[in-house]
Amino acid sequence: MRERKKSSAVEVSSVKKKKEKKTKDNNEPREQKEKEESQSIMKQQKNTTSRSKKEKQRKATEDYQSLRESELSGDEVHGTDHDVDNADDHHEEDQTDGSEGHRGVEESDSSEDEVAPRNTIGDVPLEWYKDEKHIGYDISGKKITKKERQDKLASFLANVDDSKSWRKIYDEYNDEEVELTKEEIRLVQRLLKGKAPHTDFDQYADYVDWFKYDDALHPLSNAPEPKRRFIPSKWESKKVVQYVRAIRKGLIKFDEPKEEEPKFYLLWGDDSSAAEKANHLAYIPAPKPKLPGHEESYNPSLEYIPTQEELNSYQLMYEEDRPKFIPRRFTSLRSVPAYENAVKDSFERCMDLYLCPRVRKKRVNIDPETLKPKLPSRKDLKPYPVACYLEYKGHKGAVVSISTEASGQWFASGSTDGTVRIWEVESGRCLRVLEIGEAIQYVAWNPLPELPVLAVSAGQDVLILNTGLGNEEEQRRVKDLLHVETPTAPDDNMASIVSWLQHDKLDGIRLRHFKVAFSPLSIFSCIFVLVLDLGLVEDHLLKNLLLALMFTLDGVFGRMASQGRLPLHGDNLIVGSREGKLCWFDMDLSSKPYRVLKCHPKDITNVAFHRSYPLFASCSDDCTAYVFHGMVYSDLNQNPLIVPLEILRGHTSSNGRGVMDCKFHPRQPWLFTAGADSVIRLYCH
Amino acid sequence: MPKHYRPAGKKKEGNAAKYITRSQALKQLQVNTKLFRKLCIYKGVFPREPKKKFRGNHQTYYHLKDVSFIRHDPILEDLRAKSAYRKKIIKAKAKRNKELADILKNRQPEIKLDRLVRERYPHFIDALRDLDDPLTLVHLFAALPGSDRLKIEVKRVHNCRKLSHEWQAYISRTHKLRKVFISVKGVYYQAEVEGQKITWLTPHGMQQVLPDDDVVYDVLLSFLEFYETLLAFVNFKLYHSINVKYPPILDPQLEASAAELYALARYFDANSRPSEKVEATQEEESELRLAQLQHQLPSNEPGALMQLVKDAADENEEDEDTKECKNLFKNMRFFLSREVPRESMLFVIPAFGGTVSWEGEGAPFSETDQSITHQIVDRPTQGHVYLSREYVQPQWVYDCVNTRIILPTEAYMVGRVPPPHLSPFVDNEEEGYVPDYAETIKRLKSAAKNEILPMPGMGKENLDDPQNLLAEGYISRAEAIEAAERKQKMMTLEKQYHDELKMELDGFKYSSSVSDATKQKSDEDMETGEEPLPDVQQISTADMSKLLMSRKKRGLYEAMKKGQERKKAHVDLLKQRKKKIEAAEKFKKN
Repeated sequence: MRERKKSSAVEVSSVKKKKEKKTKDNNEPREQKEKEESQSIMKQQKNTTSRSKKEKQRKATEDYQSLRESELSGDEVHGTDHDVDNADDHHEEDQTDGSEGHRGVEESDSSEDEVAPRNTIGDVPLEWYKDEKHIGYDISGKKITKKERQDKLASFLANVDDSKSWRKIYDEYNDEEVELTKEEIRLVQRLLKGKAPHTDFDQYADYVDWFKYDDALHPLSNAPEPKRRFIPSKWESKKVVQYVRAIRKGLIKFDEPKEEEPKFYLLWGDDSSAAEKANHLAYIPAPKPKLPGHEESYNPSLEYIPTQEELNSYQLMYEEDRPKFIPRRFTSLRSVPAYENAVKDSFERCMDLYLCPRVRKKRVNIDPETLKPKLPSRKDLKPYPVACYLEYKGHKGAVVSISTEASGQWFASGSTDGTVRIWEVESGRCLRVLEIGEAIQYVAWNPLPELPVLAVSAGQDVLILNTGLGNEEEQRRVKDLLHVETPTAPDDNMASIVSWLQHDKLDGIRLRHFKVAFSPLSIFSCIFVLVLDLGLVEDHLLKNLLLALMFTLDGVFGRMASQGRLPLHGDNLIVGSREGKLCWFDMDLSSKPYRVLKCHPKDITNVAFHRSYPLFASCSDDCTAYVFHGMVYSDLNQNPLIVPLEILRGHTSSNGRGVMDCKFHPRQPWLFTAGADSVIRLYCH
Repeated sequence: MPKHYRPAGKKKEGNAAKYITRSQALKQLQVNTKLFRKLCIYKGVFPREPKKKFRGNHQTYYHLKDVSFIRHDPILEDLRAKSAYRKKIIKAKAKRNKELADILKNRQPEIKLDRLVRERYPHFIDALRDLDDPLTLVHLFAALPGSDRLKIEVKRVHNCRKLSHEWQAYISRTHKLRKVFISVKGVYYQAEVEGQKITWLTPHGMQQVLPDDDVVYDVLLSFLEFYETLLAFVNFKLYHSINVKYPPILDPQLEASAAELYALARYFDANSRPSEKVEATQEEESELRLAQLQHQLPSNEPGALMQLVKDAADENEEDEDTKECKNLFKNMRFFLSREVPRESMLFVIPAFGGTVSWEGEGAPFSETDQSITHQIVDRPTQGHVYLSREYVQPQWVYDCVNTRIILPTEAYMVGRVPPPHLSPFVDNEEEGYVPDYAETIKRLKSAAKNEILPMPGMGKENLDDPQNLLAEGYISRAEAIEAAERKQKMMTLEKQYHDELKMELDGFKYSSSVSDATKQKSDEDMETGEEPLPDVQQISTADMSKLLMSRKKRGLYEAMKKGQERKKAHVDLLKQRKKKIEAAEKFKKN
């Protein structure tokens, strides 16, 4: 199809040209116009013509070469029209000189493809073999002889005889005679008539227009280009004139190459002028990056390379804990690769530079030992309990509370197994075992030596018991004191809290509480013993005193008292708290602790002052007891001296509890500790 | 009433008045985060830590003065103008007005940072003090490939290359390089300029990877922009100080063959005469000034004069250090093989007074030159060997530089695994662990010092020392080897002697310490009488005084202790590993 289109385009152009030639005689202006027109058409079709030019040439040669004379064979074929014009003359000449000039047909014949050409000389002028007897060589190198030419007369006679002779032509190139077929003859005849060579080609086919003019958004158009496209713009030319005038007047200046200032110059020429202080904040230079150590070397000592096991262990670590840099070893410099994190590292550094808050910090470059405070020698602060001297064994449960008698000969201990035991201090002998039946919470001796009475708190009750110690006189007084005739008539306000009873088994009084009103039962019982001792048995008085005491205590140290234990020592007070802190309060000074000692990692169970020596102790659930030297001077300007002296160990933990109670010996610098492991220990100096 | 209530009309006080959070700062400056980041980077503004973080711990706080400092800077207007201009270009492009877009592109306003450099570093010494990071970043970018996607322009990479070479050329020329360390991360250099120790890292000369995730290149490029300007001005000042014109004009041929450093050196040589002159004039000047000062000083103030003289002496001392560096490789000629990192070597060797050439175009002398004393080779075997020169691995050069002596080359021969490369930045005594090779080097150093102070009976040996031979002009290799062997023998002997001495010393110490301990014990025994558990006692005494420390001090103490323990653990680990390695070696031998 395409072929055909092209050929039709050629046809069109050729027709136009013919027209042009015909109109040559007419007047000139018109001719010019037409020329223009034709040029424009030519322009339009230039593409097609140029593309089909070769083809056209080929066709032309195919069609007409046979009709040309041998002299004209060198001529260029310019256009079809030219050939057509000349066609008639050539034909006549051809007819007369038929023997030559037929090779074109031979060449164009399709049979050429089937039979290999006899000619072996290639593209060589035949003249070279004009006088030779052979023409070229065959494959074995032998000369190919020319065919014997008949003389003119013989050939003429043969032509006359042969009816087909008019169809025969001589192919000089291949040196043979060729007989044209009927089709070929017909083709030639058609050409001679000026028709298309092939019969099936319709020269005057209906024009099929491929442009669409209707029903399209953007219809294609083959309208000729408007004139304005070929005429230079009027406005442009005006603008140009304007520019020219402006340039002449010097209004427009062209870009002169700017004189480049030197980009860099001596910035710090004289430093003197910069000395003036800028009024902005002090610049804190960024800390310099850490300098690399031996392990970062490309070839570090072998000991810097982690072993395979260590590498494996890194894999098990959390990602944050893993070492940032794992040393590697390369045996030569050439094997060192590029560092893969180079860009990342410098990016992180940049982020640090502009995002990290900078603070000037003093670098402490001292021996850590110098930070420790200077303490007076412990030898000067002797005596104090140092080592375990005795162990009192007998309890079956954790020993909760101990209390020493005022003289220091005896002490009592209460345990969770429901017994109270009275021991002799020096020998370790258990004097009495009092079965209470309930877990003991607290035990307290009467501080007065002449009334050896023991107060025990167990469950909801407080028992005041006769220990059976002392001489007869004392025993008698005790018996008097501990005698309750009848259950007292319940008073209006007191009955709800306490009822006084004679203990049924043991020798003593039982105070039955109906409500647990006071949380630190120990204080209650202590005070009660005191009160008992003074003989103040009147109910209302007792009540008032108790409440008053409780309230003062609660008001001043409310928060701490609820957590710990409070022994008083003049104006100074120690509080041990559940978080393992030991606070020393100077009540004259302030309500804030004078000193806080963080010594125990676990709860402090009890703290104790020594009555005569400047010692105090704390015991805790971590199975240790600390002994401190706590000297309070009579001179108020001098701060109390607190020196930790000793850590006493030996108890073992049971059920998460360690040392439950500690008490000093009233006379000697000895310390009793009651452990949850049911052992009581005595530490001596 | 809430705690932070402030009655109307009352001004803010304390931290709230001094600091503002980052988002507040953004609002005040009316900039977006990107621009704020750029401003912070250019101006060197960093967050500060108020005593009390009134808006919570998660906020970043800036000092109000810092923010107003940014607000009053013309750079803010410039950057805004630039972004407006950028919008113009985008608009022109969107309208397909390519012509206008091109014109606009070519006339972009340039932002100059010189004023900021001067503002941030009012003195040259300040700039030098802060030069570590700029140098590292510029050297890194000099090795990066340009990338359109990440906006790393090739032009900038070239500029970075240029700047880094200029810097290296100055350092090398003035012999200010002090230490070199090849690490896995790259090569660390330390130079000393005007008393400031400047350390920088250059990546290995390989194709660098550009990670896509977790790196924001905008930040890096903003920093780089400032650093480039800073470094250019610093270079200018430095070149000015040695009277060389800046920027230097290089031989294009050498530049093309990637030997810029050598080209720069040539450039220096061309300009060397005037520099000497200047030195002379400077000296004259200083003398003149001294005289003037003397005039000004009242004659009865000898102290001030003494000070002046002392200063001069100090300067001389500094010079001695440079002199030492200058003469380390004096009269040595090096030749670099193809596989040796050329840039580093071209920088280091001339910095220590050596002459160097390489395989390639524009090299000052070729491999066949007979005067070459050392050829630096980094390949498994060397085919053709010249007898007149030593073949060493590149590490030899770096180790020599760090130790400041010419090390024996046996250990660094071609094909061998060189001895461990140690960091010159580590103080071994402080670290608590001394690697073996550090001790060897120490001995070699002391030996070298002994040579300088010839001892009786040692003089003859000294003559045969390879170094001296080198200095004299090298007689023959065999002789040198012999000498080296002799030297090693001597060294081993010496080492033995030293070890013995050490043993004796240790032994003495040990015995003395033991006796001390016993004495103490006996004292205690005498005083305390019967003390059953002295160990527990000691432990408790240590703990006892800790109890009385304040919380702050205790924290500090514990932190310090922890640090010490960590250090010790590290050293122990090293020792343990070493022991294992030694045991394994022994096992192998057996």
